[in-house]
This record gives sequence, structure tokens and C-alpha cells, in this order.
Amino acid sequence: MTSGARTSGRLGVALAVVIFAACLLASLALGPVSLSPLKLAHYLMAGPGGSAPGSIIFWQIRLPRVLLAFLVGAALSVAGVILQDLFLNPLTDPYVTGVSSGAALGATFGIVLHLAALPWMTILALIGGFATLAVVWIAARRRGKIDIYVLLLAGVTISYLVTAVIAVLMIRAGEDMDAIVYWLLGSFSGRSWPEVKVALFALPFMIVPLFFAKEMDILLQGEKRALELGVDVERAKRVLLVTAAVLTAVAVSVSGIIGFVGLVVPHIVRLLVGPSHMRLVPIALLGGAALMGIADLLSRTMLAPAEIPVGVVTTFVGAPLFVYLLRRGRA
Amino acid sequence: MAGERELTSAATGELPKAASPALLSVRELAFAYDERPVLRRISFDLQAGEFVGIVGPNGSGKSTLLDLVDGVLRPSAGEVCVNGKPTREYRRRDMAREVALVPQHFTLEFDLSVREVVEMGAYCRGKDAHSGGDAELTLARLGVAALVERRFTELSGGEKQLVVLAQALMQRAQLLLLDEPASALDVSHQLRLFDLLQQLNRDGLTVLCILHDLNLAIHYFDKLLVLSDGEVAAFGPPDEVLRPEIVEAVYGVRAYLHKHAGRTYLTFSPRLRGERLGRVHLVCGGGTGAGLMRELVDAGYDVSAGVLNALDTDEETGSELGLSMAVEAPFSPVGDEAHAHNLELMRAADVVMVTAVPVSHGNERNIRAALEAAAAGTPVWAVRGVLDNDFTGVTAELEPAGARLFADEAGVLAALRERARRASLTQP
Repeated sequence: MTSGARTSGRLGVALAVVIFAACLLASLALGPVSLSPLKLAHYLMAGPGGSAPGSIIFWQIRLPRVLLAFLVGAALSVAGVILQDLFLNPLTDPYVTGVSSGAALGATFGIVLHLAALPWMTILALIGGFATLAVVWIAARRRGKIDIYVLLLAGVTISYLVTAVIAVLMIRAGEDMDAIVYWLLGSFSGRSWPEVKVALFALPFMIVPLFFAKEMDILLQGEKRALELGVDVERAKRVLLVTAAVLTAVAVSVSGIIGFVGLVVPHIVRLLVGPSHMRLVPIALLGGAALMGIADLLSRTMLAPAEIPVGVVTTFVGAPLFVYLLRRGRA
Repeated sequence: MAGERELTSAATGELPKAASPALLSVRELAFAYDERPVLRRISFDLQAGEFVGIVGPNGSGKSTLLDLVDGVLRPSAGEVCVNGKPTREYRRRDMAREVALVPQHFTLEFDLSVREVVEMGAYCRGKDAHSGGDAELTLARLGVAALVERRFTELSGGEKQLVVLAQALMQRAQLLLLDEPASALDVSHQLRLFDLLQQLNRDGLTVLCILHDLNLAIHYFDKLLVLSDGEVAAFGPPDEVLRPEIVEAVYGVRAYLHKHAGRTYLTFSPRLRGERLGRVHLVCGGGTGAGLMRELVDAGYDVSAGVLNALDTDEETGSELGLSMAVEAPFSPVGDEAHAHNLELMRAADVVMVTAVPVSHGNERNIRAALEAAAAGTPVWAVRGVLDNDFTGVTAELEPAGARLFADEAGVLAALRERARRASLTQP
């Protein structure tokens, strides 16, 4: 039994790496114009200056879009791991802190004010995200400590409030309403290198939880026990909450609100490799990236040339997978 | 209450200044949750190597005191010093190296292995985590090395308790705090746990442990700290601090101290002295009255008995229960003085009861006394068995004198309850 659990842990790691590589390859190769792995290698080696249509598709459209999907998926699922384990609540996802709603509000302002081009969209979304975090943070702060439950409740409440403001803006927006709706649904359509550069900003923050892996493990026993065992709980919470907020705000600012990945990937990975964060965080990072990559691949190929919003696809892919794993985990 | 204060100052105020500073020093400690005071004026010292229990009623502030010693809570006033340094000056990690705590409740719903759970205890040791021995060795010390590869969530309550203890030991702190470690354990696991703690103490660990079972406290601990309503009611060796009057003042129950087979132990009954339901006098002996004595005391009656010979089983039970008794010297017939005392006790009684005591010339006068009481109008209730063990024939006079006879003790007690019920109806 026990050695079985350990083997399945190692198996889970191997499985995640293989799946990640396969998903990356498939996402790059497949599309309205399919590129063989050989051609992919050729374009990659030749660099971005090529004049062949395939090279232009690869460098200008395919590669940035795939990179963006992988980065956003990784950011959301790492943020999901952090928040689920800090709140000790399996229903938590990166959007409960209100950061995503704030970012959405910022982006909606951008669209309404016709500032819908980079870098304005990103800047406004980041400002919206951090402003909400600041409000929630102040609400949850008591005597120098962050009350994690007040934070959760304040985050959910402010999400509703901000969503109501967005609704008012949408009604007043007239012909911009379509743009807002499409942005809110979340998509990688038409995204290119500028967005990738913004998303790369999230990369160092994905590494942060690895430095707090032991603290996060201990925090699974609750904040009080963590204090007793010598963890500087307030410092760990501060760093981890800000990290999760940055990851969420960056992801939302380049892609809109894509649901389900941040909720389900941490659960799936926990079932595969266990709750220990030294394994959980990196595998969730790879798994979130892979799932988002595949979801985006499906979103741009299934009804090509039309696109299905990627958030819809993540739900269609993730939900059955999750139910399957839950049942297997129980058996 | 004044007595408790004196005890407090006697236990703490007059400590000679030790040459080596105390491992734990609590000075005028007070703590309040918001405005509600929980602890007041707590002062005591713990020297390295001591084995000390904390007892006290629910809500007396025991767990809060441990959290203050561990620095998880900050005092509202006063201070807690560990190795001479106030807890507020410690960083959490350094605190965990000095003080380890085994909490009362431990929840971990995630699927971690026992090894992973135990190793979390070494967190405060940082890089040199493994110099203190690994998870297996620590579990082996507690006799449960085999658990190391199991999943924590699959363990029984007793096993989990030991794993959490192992986690705390991984901190390699000098002072181990435990919050009711035995509350979820059956009697065999309880004894095993306290034996283990005693062993750890002999190996040099200083132990401060909350527990509810006063008899375990008496048996195992060198010293006890009695908390009552947020204050120290007593601090010292168990036989000094768990005297019946202190237990009664702190817990509000009757307590009786017994000595049996070289051990001291306490028993309790729920009511305090003074709630008078009435007074019952027992004519008994040779152990025929011990059960009734206890039942009547627990039911809230003032009980007297006599005449009994000193060292008789009933006499010993009666004196442990603190009854008023007419007593004669061992193995002697009832003399005039004891008889007179007995008559006096019977006159004060509302009911005189006669157990199935064997009657001979030595104690014939007790039956005569009961007959006298019956003549004076006091109800006399006798267990029929007394007629069978009579070598004098005096008991044959009981029924003609107006005594009620009952088949057994249960019948007598039922009649007493009925009498109390009717009394409460007529006197609301």
C-alpha cells in the first residue's frame, strides 16, 4: 500500500512531464495549418526571420499564442494551489480573492475608454487587480494579522460588487459591449508577443511557492499548529497571497477570465502526486500549462475557422477528467 | 478562597532564588480575549527536568496558559520567560526550538505519510534537521516505528496522538507542553502514554502537561499546578495540592481521599456538603453498610453511623467519607460511652437504618438503641437479612416496635426516595 503510493507519486511526476511535452508539441503542430514536428524543428532553428508562410505562422501566430496559453495555465494553477492550501478550502480558485474581478473592471474601463490596446489594457487590468487586493487586504487585517476567512469573504463580496459595476458599464457601453463580453469570457485569440512579454512577468512568481514548500506543507495542519512548529505564519501568508494575486492579475490581464483551470488542476495533481508541495507545485505548474495548451488547441481547431472561447473548452475538458480521477481516487 | 490565596503565595512567593535561572518563569501573567479576562496573576517557575501536571475545571484557562508559554498568544500583562528571555522577544522558529507543544486537537485531512508528518517537526531546526535523529528513530522511541510508512489519515486516534508527540519531539525542545494528551485514549493507551512521558522526563525532557484525571495526576506527576477560574489555586506536590478541601473549592464536588495498596486516590460525588436532604443513621458493621453510606452521601444525605469498631470496614469507609460516627475500640463490645454517643446521633437522625449486620452480644446494644429510637418516634427501617444473622434474638423485637422491614438495600433506598419526594411536595 505505502510503497504503491510512493511509486504512484513518481509515476505521477513522469506522467506529468510526458503529458506536458506531448501537449506542447501538439499545440505547436496542430491548427488550421498543421506543421509537422520536423518543420517545427526547422523553423525553430532558423529563427524568426523566415519568409516561408509556415515560418511566419509559427513565429508570428502559433508560438506566441501557445506560449501565452501555457504561461497563463501555469500561473492560474499555481495560484490555485496556493489559495486552496492557504484557505484549507477545496472550493477556492484564483478568482475568490477578487483580484480577477478587479482586473476585469480595469480592462472594461480600457475598452469603454477605447484604450483597448497594449500596454493600456494590461496596465489597467493590473491596476484594477491590485486595487481590489488592497481593499480586501485592509478588510482582512486585524492587529497586524491577516484573517484568512475574512479575506475569503471580503474577496467574494468585492467580486460581486465589481461585477455589478462591470454590468453597469456594459449597459452604458453600446457597441463596445461585444468586446467586453468576449474579453470577459477569456481567450487567446489574436494575442501575440507583447502579451507574452507581459505574461513572462509571472514566471518568477511561479517559483516563489517552491521556497515556501515546507511552510505550505506545515500550514496544511492549520495556522495555529504552524505557529507552534515555528513557522512565521504571517510572513508566509503575506508572500504567498501577494504571489497568488500577481499571478492571477497577470493572467487575467492578458487573457480575460478563464475558469476551471485554477480550481481543478490543483486537485487533479494532488490526486496524482499527493499534497506535498515540493512535488505538487511544479507538477501543477506543468499540468496547468498543458491543460490550458490543449484547451486552446481545441478552441481554435474544433470549429475552425470560428473559435470557441477557451474558458468553455477548459470546462469541457477538465470536468470529466476531474470526475474520473475523483472516482478512481475513492476506489 | 482566602486559603487558596495563602497557598498560592506559599507555593510561589517564597521560592528561594535559585542559582541557575528557571527554564520557565511566569510572572504576574494576565490574559484576556478581547475584554473577557481568562488568566489573572499567574506566577510560577519550572526548573529544568521537572515533571509537572496542570489540572483545573473546564474553562479555567489551562490551554490558554500553554499557548502563552509557547508564545503563540501574547500576555495582556506580566511576562513569560523561557531560559530567562521573554517569549515576545523570540522569533517563531527560535521559540519552537525551546518549547514544543502537543495540541489537544489535531486535524490533517490531507493524504500525507506518517514520515512526512513527523518530519514537519524538524522545521524549526532548519539545515541541521537531521542531526536530531530522523522520523523512524523518534517513532521507535515511542515504540511505534512500524507506523513510519503508513498514511496519517488511516491511523487510529491513539496512533495519531503518538505521531503528533513524535512530531513535537522532532523539535528537540527542552520543554514539552501537552494539552490533554490522554483525553481520546483508552485506559491502556493512557497509561502507556504517561509511562512514555515519564521515560522522556527521565531522559532529560521537562514536561508540563494538562490532564483531567486527578488520579493519573496524583500517580504520575512530581508537582501539580491547580488552575481555578484563571488563577493558580495551588502549586506543589500532588498530595499537598489535591487535598479534598482544595478539590472541593476548585471543582465544586465532594472529594474523598483513599489510601489503598500503598497508593493514594480520590473519589468524587457530585454534590457539595450543606445541601441537606435529611439525616440518616446507619446501624451496620463488617462491611454491610459501606455501600449504603456511599449511596446516601452521593444522594445528598447527612449520614451518621454507629456503634462501629475502629478498623472495621464500615468504620474505614465512614471515616473516608467524613461521616459522624460513634466508635468503639477494635474487637471490643459496645461500651457505655460509645452507646451514649450512638443514642445522641440517632436522636439527630430523621431515619435510622439497620443493615443485615450480624448481631451478637458485642453489638446487641446497637439494636437496643434502634428500638429506643423507634419508641421515640423516629422511623426505623431494617433490611430483613438482619433477622437471619442474629445470635441474640434481639432483632425479633424490631417489627413489634414499629420498624419497617425491607427485602434488601434497594428497597430501603426506594422508600427513602419516596419519602424525599413526598417531603418536597408538602414543602415546595
